Amino acid sequence: MNPSRRDFLKGIAVGAAGAAVGAPAAARSAQGEGDAKHRWGMVVDLRRCIGCQACTVACGTENHTPLGQYRTVVHQFEIPGADGSPRRASLPRLCNHCAEPPCIPVCPVGATFQRADGIVLVDNTRCVGCGYCVQACPYDARFVNAELGTADKCTFCVHRVDAGLLPACVETCVGSARIFGDLNNPDSSVSQLLREHEALPLKPAAGTAPQVRYIGLDGRLQDKVTGEPSPIAAKLAEVTP
Amino acid sequence: MNAPILELTGFAQDPAWLPWAVQYFFLVGISLGAFLLTLPHFLAGRGSVEAARAALIAALITGIAAPIALLADLHQPLRFWRFYLSPNGSSWMAWGAFFLPAYVGGLVAYGWLALRPAFAARAGTDLPGRIAGLLGGDGAPWPQRLKAVGVFTAVGALLVALYTGAELAVVAARPLWHTPLLPLGLLATAIAAGAGLATLLTGDPAARRLLGRAVATGSAAALLVFIAGLLAGFAGAASGEAQLALVAHRPLASLLLVLLLAAPLLLIGRRQAAPLAGLLAVVAAWAWRWELFMGGQRLPKSGAGFYDYAVPFGTEGLLGVLGSAGLMVLIALALHAVLPARAGRA
Repeated sequence: MNPSRRDFLKGIAVGAAGAAVGAPAAARSAQGEGDAKHRWGMVVDLRRCIGCQACTVACGTENHTPLGQYRTVVHQFEIPGADGSPRRASLPRLCNHCAEPPCIPVCPVGATFQRADGIVLVDNTRCVGCGYCVQACPYDARFVNAELGTADKCTFCVHRVDAGLLPACVETCVGSARIFGDLNNPDSSVSQLLREHEALPLKPAAGTAPQVRYIGLDGRLQDKVTGEPSPIAAKLAEVTP
Repeated sequence: MNAPILELTGFAQDPAWLPWAVQYFFLVGISLGAFLLTLPHFLAGRGSVEAARAALIAALITGIAAPIALLADLHQPLRFWRFYLSPNGSSWMAWGAFFLPAYVGGLVAYGWLALRPAFAARAGTDLPGRIAGLLGGDGAPWPQRLKAVGVFTAVGALLVALYTGAELAVVAARPLWHTPLLPLGLLATAIAAGAGLATLLTGDPAARRLLGRAVATGSAAALLVFIAGLLAGFAGAASGEAQLALVAHRPLASLLLVLLLAAPLLLIGRRQAAPLAGLLAVVAAWAWRWELFMGGQRLPKSGAGFYDYAVPFGTEGLLGVLGSAGLMVLIALALHAVLPARAGRA
């Protein structure tokens, strides 16, 4: 059997298993190597994002993240416009699946790795839960799963992607603000958007080469936001009955 | 006037490194700081035997307890063997998994060789006496072996100091840690606290005087590092700005830390105050690491403001801190039971 057919069938099997158990947890140790023909990435069109958090909920439902812990969230801001009047801005955040991921070299046991298609994953059968990768991620995109005791993060819903489906957050986005696709394919939606629009990454100075880009990103939100913090910071203790 | 950006929805992140990490860096720091103070006597025959022995006991108490605190900080502690089965050479933490047992193993062997005559002198018919007799053998000193193991352990101690500092300093995502000042601050407070704990373990005035000088030197160096960090912040360095932000957010904690570092300098020369100065140096080393780890993790990498953190009462918080202190006491009592009270009797 040639490798591509084997990968395809493996993807089907992983996707079916993921669908059967309703979560990719059981399939995490069999995440595969990915196909170097693809380079998965995401463009977030902020002009279309209404900050509804449907992506946050879809991700939690799809991936069974513990209560109060999120692989993706939508930060919302009130920022002064050019004329001084306030306007709303949303900023969905997730793992950037960086081309130069700082989380990988620090992992002491090699549990964090990058597939050939660019997806950065955690093998949670190997992870010792040291939290070093959580510290090294410049985007606060990682956390230690309170139930599993291992590092956790967005996987681009790799179990769905390998089965030919879109990530849950993309599938559910009501405004089609999240666009997922193959950056290696010049005809893909993400490639076309990147050609036609200025799409900025977060924290470019970090040198991580993020593969998630934003159309319509206000420069004041590109790095660490300086301003008034939210009076509401959702934490596990606050939402647990 | 520019209106500020208001964050309407924020998502706080719990610290990935728990108070156990503070305990580990505190204990291993004291241990290697105290161990280094033993070398002039046991390797070169210089300095006070009382001071060297007190420092050795301090190094053993904290050095044996340290790996347990480190293990407890893992969220999957039973997978620690992964560090040895699949080490990642680009990670300082992976290297630390080899440096730490080398240091602690060397330290235990070094302690045994150095205290062999003392164990023999404590030999008796009671249970601790029988154990001391086994450990002491004929009580004859083995200076060549002691020197060889001492050199090995000294290399291990320096490697542990290197990896603990570098492990944090390479994390560019946390500006507070991403500075060459960080390893220097850890080392300075480690030496001050190592000498400080040793001061508490000896009643000999000459030893206390000698150790008191190390306490003052380490505290002064740590104070300079702290001030250098603030100055770097005023000069626009990201790490210094993070330190300034933390100081502004927790002014009382920062003031307390500065007072703890300055106190041994004010108490130097006052013979009766040596144990107090030592105790304050130990507390300062702990407070330094608490602010560094738990304070550093309060700074969001993307969002505005600070994450709240309240120390939980369970094993992930207060109980962990108290538990590792209790472990130290247990080790101290065990050593006390198999050693004579004063080095001179050995």
